Amino acid sequence: MRFSENGFYIAKYVKCANCGMLVYGAGVEKPLQGKIQIYCSDWCVEWARLRATHDGFFRLPIVQPKPAIEATARPNRPRASPPDMVMMNILDSTMVSICREMGILLMKTSYSTIFNEGLDFTCALADTKGDMIACAEFCPTMIGGMPLLIKTCAQEIPFETLEEGDIILHNDPYRGGLHCPEHTFFKPFFVEGELIGFAVCIGHIAEIGGMVPGAFCGEATEIFHEGMRIPPVKIQKRGRDVEEVWKLLLANCRTPRQNYGDLRAMIGCVNLGVSRITEIVNKYGKAVFNRTCEDLMDYSERRMRAELAGFADGKYGFSDVIENDGIEAKPYTVAIDIYVQGDEIVADYDRSSVQAKGPINATLGVATGAVYNGILHITDPSIPKNSGAFRPIRVVSPPGRVTNVDYPGPLVAGNTETHPRLANITIGAMGACVPQRVMASESCTGTNFVFGGNHPDHEEYFACYDIMSGGWGGRYGHDGNDCVIAINGNCRFNPTEVFETRFPFRVENCELVPDSGGAGRWRGGLGYRRTLLATAVPITGSQCSDRHEVKPWPIFGGAPGGNGATLIRKAGSSEWKTVRELYGKISSSKYANITIEPGDRIMLTAPGGGGYGDPSARDRAAIAEDVKEGYVSREAAIKRYAFSEE
Amino acid sequence: MRNVLGVDVGGTFTDFVAYDAETRKVSVWKELSTPADPVTGIIAGLARYEDRQSVGNLRIGTTVATNAVLERKGAVVAYVTTKGFRDVPFIQRGNRKAHYDMSWVKPKPLVKRRHCFELDERIDAYGRVVTPLDEAQVRRLAKEIAAMPEIEAVAVCLLFCYLNPEHELRTREILADELPDKALSISYDVLPKWKEYERASTTIADAYLKPVVGRQLKAMRGKLNSAGVKAPAVIITSNGGEMTLEAAADAPVQMLLSGPTGGVIAGRFVAEDLGIERLVTIDMGGTSTDVSTVIGKKESFTTAFEIEWGVPIQIPMIDIRTIGAGGGSIAWIDKGGMLQVGPQSAGATPGPACYGQGGGDATVTDANLVLGRINPENFLGGRMKLDKAAAHSAIAKLAGSLGQEIEEAALAIVRIVDNNMVGALRSVLMERGLDPRDFTLCAFGGATPLHASALMREMGIPRAVVPIHPAQFSAYGFIMTNPRVDRQRTAQLVSTRFDAERANRIVDQLVAESLAELRAQGYKQDIEVHRALEMRYLGQNYELELPLTLERFAAGTTAKLWESFHEAHQARFGFSTPGEIIEIVNFMVTAVARTAKPALAEISVSDSPAEPKESRFVWFIDGPRTIPVFERAHLRSGQSVAGPALIEEDASVTVLEKGHRLAIHRHGHLIIDATQEA
Repeated sequence: MRFSENGFYIAKYVKCANCGMLVYGAGVEKPLQGKIQIYCSDWCVEWARLRATHDGFFRLPIVQPKPAIEATARPNRPRASPPDMVMMNILDSTMVSICREMGILLMKTSYSTIFNEGLDFTCALADTKGDMIACAEFCPTMIGGMPLLIKTCAQEIPFETLEEGDIILHNDPYRGGLHCPEHTFFKPFFVEGELIGFAVCIGHIAEIGGMVPGAFCGEATEIFHEGMRIPPVKIQKRGRDVEEVWKLLLANCRTPRQNYGDLRAMIGCVNLGVSRITEIVNKYGKAVFNRTCEDLMDYSERRMRAELAGFADGKYGFSDVIENDGIEAKPYTVAIDIYVQGDEIVADYDRSSVQAKGPINATLGVATGAVYNGILHITDPSIPKNSGAFRPIRVVSPPGRVTNVDYPGPLVAGNTETHPRLANITIGAMGACVPQRVMASESCTGTNFVFGGNHPDHEEYFACYDIMSGGWGGRYGHDGNDCVIAINGNCRFNPTEVFETRFPFRVENCELVPDSGGAGRWRGGLGYRRTLLATAVPITGSQCSDRHEVKPWPIFGGAPGGNGATLIRKAGSSEWKTVRELYGKISSSKYANITIEPGDRIMLTAPGGGGYGDPSARDRAAIAEDVKEGYVSREAAIKRYAFSEE
Repeated sequence: MRNVLGVDVGGTFTDFVAYDAETRKVSVWKELSTPADPVTGIIAGLARYEDRQSVGNLRIGTTVATNAVLERKGAVVAYVTTKGFRDVPFIQRGNRKAHYDMSWVKPKPLVKRRHCFELDERIDAYGRVVTPLDEAQVRRLAKEIAAMPEIEAVAVCLLFCYLNPEHELRTREILADELPDKALSISYDVLPKWKEYERASTTIADAYLKPVVGRQLKAMRGKLNSAGVKAPAVIITSNGGEMTLEAAADAPVQMLLSGPTGGVIAGRFVAEDLGIERLVTIDMGGTSTDVSTVIGKKESFTTAFEIEWGVPIQIPMIDIRTIGAGGGSIAWIDKGGMLQVGPQSAGATPGPACYGQGGGDATVTDANLVLGRINPENFLGGRMKLDKAAAHSAIAKLAGSLGQEIEEAALAIVRIVDNNMVGALRSVLMERGLDPRDFTLCAFGGATPLHASALMREMGIPRAVVPIHPAQFSAYGFIMTNPRVDRQRTAQLVSTRFDAERANRIVDQLVAESLAELRAQGYKQDIEVHRALEMRYLGQNYELELPLTLERFAAGTTAKLWESFHEAHQARFGFSTPGEIIEIVNFMVTAVARTAKPALAEISVSDSPAEPKESRFVWFIDGPRTIPVFERAHLRSGQSVAGPALIEEDASVTVLEKGHRLAIHRHGHLIIDATQEA
């Protein structure tokens, strides 16, 4: 990383040519095809060499990157006695409970519907090395992204400048972040004057300025179209607001009152975390606390290694296609190769397309979190979620790809649309290894329709990030679930009665899409659709979705799931048209700033999931019940399953 | 007719508690339940009660409704909703139960999709009619439903009915007219609050229960009559109140938590008896622990009940957090070598290893026995001899794998189960912004007194009460209830454009409805009405409940109301936003008919020091020590005991740690206080 001499800005983002991590120190310089490349470590030099010279499986025991802060951090004390398992159990559950308490406060006090109905946030505790020591179950994409985010931030904050009561705010996607709406708050906690760690929360603020209300600009070609970018800055110093920062932030969004509420809620959240964890450290003492946190991470590592050791060694590849980037009508490949070597894995995104012009790119934080997310789905869910669990996993995501975007490429959809694709191909790749633990593709989209306008009842601007999602893929033993949020979030859909109370739309239907579940021995789950009628004022809409053209993939002989769609019917017309037809956009799934006039309708459809296994092996009674309940039409049952009524 | 009889019909046992108002004597006994017919157990138990002729009031807690929903054995329901929305119960809210669990199967609603129907009607977010109800269509639909003999009940939930119930009320009239034999529930009656999925799910549950519960309650009254029990009977409801059998049959969703509320009501009784402002009840039994709070002598309520994850019933219920931690909880070593306790339980059979019934797993009870805290000769008042050797060998197995001494492993088990209970206490206290240092712990259930002192220490709770008969204490709740009606309505009003007139109208209407409902059940006197508001900053999505102290809303008086919200927000969340727009979301009214309550007998007083009956070698975290053991029945009001000590009684043992002191209340409760050196 090259900072300006005055330290005010980044002159150049320096990334490892192999794994894509930011390189803060000197790095390792090596020529490749006549050009000097910078690598973060010798391990990456060697990995790149092996990959270039081997088509198949090879081994290279992993060495995790060592950020500079780890070199200066207090070394682990030599252990005089074996780990105190009782203390570990107590501290882990207490810290998870603190994180949950932080999340409840955030849910109850925040303003954006994506926070309080959507629960698009997460809360964690970290140590001074930037390792995540505990988190609560809120949003999985953020949990996976958290370790890298904390580590990167920790690199840039000189710890000696931190004081009790400081709160750091950050959302820079190129520095460990996920996308600009995801705001991270860090509050250091001290005991007897010594910095012990941080309470952290990440939350999605719906409106952050930029080209479109609600940040999801389907036509962004630069980060600057996607809203305000914030490097690590102090929003509070010694417990007092840094007013200049607040004013800058609130001047750069369309909904300052809402954002003020969300920012206050996040500050309340980390304040609570710090006060609770400080009590705990005081109760058990610093030494016991620090040692037990180390023990907990070692424990998670041990559990994860035991799981990975159960997978057969080998190279497992999988890929999927994103239909377009909103700028050009051409597809992009996301591909992964997972090298299982003993009790470790390397996940390599090298075969993915070069970075797109449009906003589908993923940051390294997203790509890394997606691998963690995928792996956590096929391993024991009871492993405590801390940085230790991720030690046996090394993610390699070369820069300049759709899987590791370079500055100033756009990326807002990477966290919502590309993350689930990456987590799903991670799971898909492992299908060849553990067929009974995997699932066909889910819908993989949050639909991500955002809109804003002037509210007819009061003089306030409104903005909303509306989430919908479709079916799960079929899995061994069960059909896919209908209408469940994509794998990267755990958000809830907006109830119609809340939605209409807040926004001048009328929801005309909210219904399952029959036949959208891909056929299979276990079929995919169904997607659903809603039709929104603009009632009073023109509404500006944008979307970052996918799967309007590319279907959710099946597995082991199943059929793909149904597509999603966005159709519009102008007032007075009886015809439904795509956004491309009606507004001359490149893509119907990704677009910016269309005007929906009063009387116009927009119909949003979320895709179904792919099928698992041969449809002819499906239980006949299940097919008959599907027809009775209308999940599968009679025609489709005859065609896909050779169904006949006896 | 001086006696009050409480009956808790459980799956295995029917528990009885009788109170004689003249002698103030409380008797407690058990009868085996007949799962298929709850009345048989009641009648058998009554036969054992000599004073049954003088029972003036019968209070029944029953799991009829609970079991019907949990086992999914309710009626076949037709669901009727606004056009375009019949899939709402299937789509639900879109989130998942747990991260990373790909085997999860999303729960189904209590209705089949083929039984869901739509009406061409629409009310908007302002309560205005957008599409009028087509009455002819409702009649056609009624005929269609009539032609489906399997359907026993109809649930109606139309969008925005909480703002304008016109269409639902008219639909009810037409359906009642056309379908006189089918049970009918409309969402405006069941839960007139916003969020259509939650309201639909609750309304469907009510309809699903009506035929089953109606039949059972009718049969119950009939059988009681023929057994000669003429006393009026009431059903204990989930909100800690009671309803006549007829009223309960008409609103069965109100009885979902009929049984478990007993312990919390009993806790409220302790709070009243001892004048405790903030009480947290903890009831540890054989397999699970229930935790709840009683603040300002009122139980805490939740509307977050779920039949199973994701299928909500948002009727106000007493808020009870249940975790899988009990005396029978099994200790085990997980894949990473960490010791875990529960949630699996050895249950009653085979039970803990020390029961000597073939159970080989080490349990919490075994650990307490190994540590010397339970006397093997005095378990259940000596009716059951415990096998100390079996407990030792079960724990020795575990200790071997952990590389620990037996006592060390037993202590670890106790510390972990304590910590699991601390987690439950945290979730009802800290996670709701309550400070444990302001609370008194009310420890009942057979196993809790063993852990009360440790929980005080871990949580920083300064005081605990071990009430009389802790093992049977929750049954006391059944004789302490009051008839109670809770009514709520959503109507959003904001501080900047506040419509005082409308607010007054809503409150008046809710009060009138609540009083009418109590009157219909025959309660006309000693009625208290509590009014409350759920408020938030405009833009937030969750509300804080504030009591409504204003007599009437008026332009001049509301400033105080807004001010009190800012203060409440500050107190609960640690910050407030002065000047921010405030929204009132829900209006809530509770009407309670105060009925006469039992008073406890006083125990004798003594000013001489308490005498231990023996001393015993007991293990604590800081090592073993020989400590005195007291017999609870011999302790007198005015005496006190300093920890460490054990206090034994028939079905329970209280462990008093070092740094804690115990005093005996005049009604026999044990009061434990943390002293200076703790």
